[in-house]
Amino acid sequence: MQISEIDLKKYSNQFTSYTELRLQENRTEGIGLLNGDMIGNSRNTSGGVSARVFDKGTWGFSCNPDMSNEGIERTIQMATQNAEFLARRSGDEGASLPHASGSGNSDFTTSKTRLTQQEKIAFMKQVDQYVVDNCPDLASRRVSLNCLEMEKKLYTSEGSSGHNINTRAIIAVYLTMTNDQGEPVELGKGFGSRGQFEDVFQSLDDCKEEIDNLYRRLLDKKQAVKPVAGYHDVILDSDLAGILAHEAIGHTTEADIVRSGSVAGDYLGQQVASDLVTLVDFANTYAGETLPVPLYLDDEGVESEDAVLIDKGILKSFMHNKETAQHFDMPLTGNARAFGYHDEPLVRMRNTAILPGGDKLTDLIASIEDGYYLMHPTNGQADSTSEFMFGVQMGYEIKNGKLGRAITDTTISGVAFDMLKEVTMLSDDMVWSCAGMCGKKQPMPVGMGGPAVKTKVYIGGE
Amino acid sequence: MSTKDSMAEELLATLTETGFDKAACSVSEHELHELQAENGDISLLRTAFETDVSLTGIVGNKKASLGINRTDDETINAAAINLKTMADAASPDPAHDIAEQQPAEQFQSGIDEPDYDKMYDRVQKVVEYATGTYPTLNLRSVNIVFFRRRNRLVNSNGIDFQTQSGSYRVSLNFTSKEGTDTSSMNYTGYSTHHLDTPIHATNDVDDMLRQSTEQVRTQHIPAKFMGDLVISPHCLTTFTGFLLSRISDLSMIDGTSVYKDKLGEQVAINCLTIHSLPLSEDLTQGYFVTDDGYKAEDLTIVENGKLNTYLLSLYGSNKLDMERAANNGGCYVIDAGDKSFDDIISSVKEGIYINRFSGGIPNERGDFSGVAKNSYYIKDGTIQYPIQETTVSGNMVELLQSIETISSERLNSGESILPWVRVSGVTAS
Repeated sequence: MQISEIDLKKYSNQFTSYTELRLQENRTEGIGLLNGDMIGNSRNTSGGVSARVFDKGTWGFSCNPDMSNEGIERTIQMATQNAEFLARRSGDEGASLPHASGSGNSDFTTSKTRLTQQEKIAFMKQVDQYVVDNCPDLASRRVSLNCLEMEKKLYTSEGSSGHNINTRAIIAVYLTMTNDQGEPVELGKGFGSRGQFEDVFQSLDDCKEEIDNLYRRLLDKKQAVKPVAGYHDVILDSDLAGILAHEAIGHTTEADIVRSGSVAGDYLGQQVASDLVTLVDFANTYAGETLPVPLYLDDEGVESEDAVLIDKGILKSFMHNKETAQHFDMPLTGNARAFGYHDEPLVRMRNTAILPGGDKLTDLIASIEDGYYLMHPTNGQADSTSEFMFGVQMGYEIKNGKLGRAITDTTISGVAFDMLKEVTMLSDDMVWSCAGMCGKKQPMPVGMGGPAVKTKVYIGGE
Repeated sequence: MSTKDSMAEELLATLTETGFDKAACSVSEHELHELQAENGDISLLRTAFETDVSLTGIVGNKKASLGINRTDDETINAAAINLKTMADAASPDPAHDIAEQQPAEQFQSGIDEPDYDKMYDRVQKVVEYATGTYPTLNLRSVNIVFFRRRNRLVNSNGIDFQTQSGSYRVSLNFTSKEGTDTSSMNYTGYSTHHLDTPIHATNDVDDMLRQSTEQVRTQHIPAKFMGDLVISPHCLTTFTGFLLSRISDLSMIDGTSVYKDKLGEQVAINCLTIHSLPLSEDLTQGYFVTDDGYKAEDLTIVENGKLNTYLLSLYGSNKLDMERAANNGGCYVIDAGDKSFDDIISSVKEGIYINRFSGGIPNERGDFSGVAKNSYYIKDGTIQYPIQETTVSGNMVELLQSIETISSERLNSGESILPWVRVSGVTAS
């Protein structure tokens, strides 16, 4: 039976306490080519039913891949038993959660005819061939396609209900050349957006500009010089601003992290950034556009709201699930998300972004006498202290307001709430990325966005 | 041995009937029981029952893989047809293959059932211990997860392996706070077949908790310097991981590995020996069968600094016409040295004792830089103070050639057995 055909409300008579009942199926698809050889051709479907029960301040959770009537009933019973086990030992009679009764439905599957596997493979071969034809002298090349569909249906004992299908399709291209010293030099990037393959990649033209830019930068990187380690004026390109918003600020303002001692808890209501900086975790929409990871109803049945974390430099609020909203006595934001049917909801980001300013990127660059323009993040990590680190695989020197030589791979780091105070310019464009997968006990697709940011960071190196 | 015993065989027969030249099928049943305390409150009991079916088919040297977790007839029949469609659409590559026939065998390790009372008691005790001993420590989470897996793997060459394993995984995530002074977050954990030992008395858990409380007040290093790095077992695999990834399929096949012509050559100082021991009874997270369907064997990857083997899969070995590795890697054991940890620290003129590395992915040459987290400044043989905003940088290839000393003490996490290692020539700034 399909998820859409199953009525969850009929199980509500089996709820003995606050209960979330969720059906979920994650569907993934991967195609990979390494130097033209097909190294990946796979699909995976993983789905089932989960129930989470709140009893005297404790949670019982259970799940089962069997979405039959018996499977669902058994799952509710097991989750209830688990909650009772804990409630007997460490229950708090006075514990409660904020009430939420909402609804949210969305479907980001395509209305077009689905392509066959053969047609998608043929498309990826075209992408690979475009690289062969237009990127001479490569030592190696990798192109891959990764598609994810997450379908969720929720019903809670408070009457919340929703059926949502989120999708995304990402192509990643990695190119390697050999420099004059005979050493490999690599540059890669993932691009794509919300939607199924048929909507995201309608023709090879959707990939050409990304590949052309990647190759042009790789040629620059082949001649790269090492950056000078130290504290520098920098322009963080929009793709780095997005990861900055997510890693450096986002994680420290997730309320479960705040509750565990994040420094953000000490700064609420205080100036933590330049007054140019406004940072928001958007639920689903910005400036009238649907965002990369639109969330309308979270996995606790809370209708998703935008969480304005920093407003003109002032730390305003945190991202919440029901427990943290209760703990901090703050409004619900609808940030509770679970990755798989077998996962419990955690406080997770959705579409986290620094809002754009009024300057042109060229003016940002022109304003720096001696610094760096940094782009193409690899990975990033945050900390309870707001100290952050991002890997950077592409960048350029800025000398006297002009871009100079490319630089080799490096890392940048700093203390986010110090670094944000150094922001002096923001570009007027806004770029969203959909390729990110955040890790916090469970993986989770997230959106990130931002303009180019002029600030100061520490650049690693010798 | 397990339920759904016949499903793997039936699925294999279906794949063969569908027209595959070669096929493999793996059916796994997983059971997970997790007890979690958050911020000192035991607040979650999670049980998960899962089934994973993994199908691989090759036809005309064209390969596809498909995973499902439902086992009703309709889903399974659709999966077989989908797999054939996917394989038909693929590009042929004669390097695709499945494992040759081996004698059927059954393997078993670990325990069969979780002990909820003991899980609860252990979590409660470590929360009480931490709260009582370290008032400034905040145990963000303590988890004990019991995980049991039953698997049957069959293929059209006649292999038939059945595996059953069960173990606990204990993990702790914590920070400390005094007023507005906050430590970096830190975490530790281990796998075990029993919960006989209190969590705080296992490995160096207690020391990690204590260190967190002193890391609320950190200092910058006095000045940029080139010196030693004393790497704790908690982040040693970050520094050995570059070698291990670059001798594996992807880097070897695309030809960018800096180790591609180094078999039998010295890739590290001669005091370094790295084993991969999935069959070791000292490790709880071992395995018996490789991803390709071969019975796993223990192997020594680096012996006295020399590269003994690449970590190539069946596909990688066929592609490069080189030897297939005897296992998947993992379960790493590094031979102990002859100096104590204290002797190692006392031999450092100036350096960093690093417990966690927050760094960018090293480039293909092995250049790395990143922040030393939960780490300490060492001067004149003494640990001085916990540090903040300190970047360490160097080159992973050179780092393995710059090992000065390996400790006699080692930490067994159940997943690896690793010592403390002192290397020289690392820049700290």
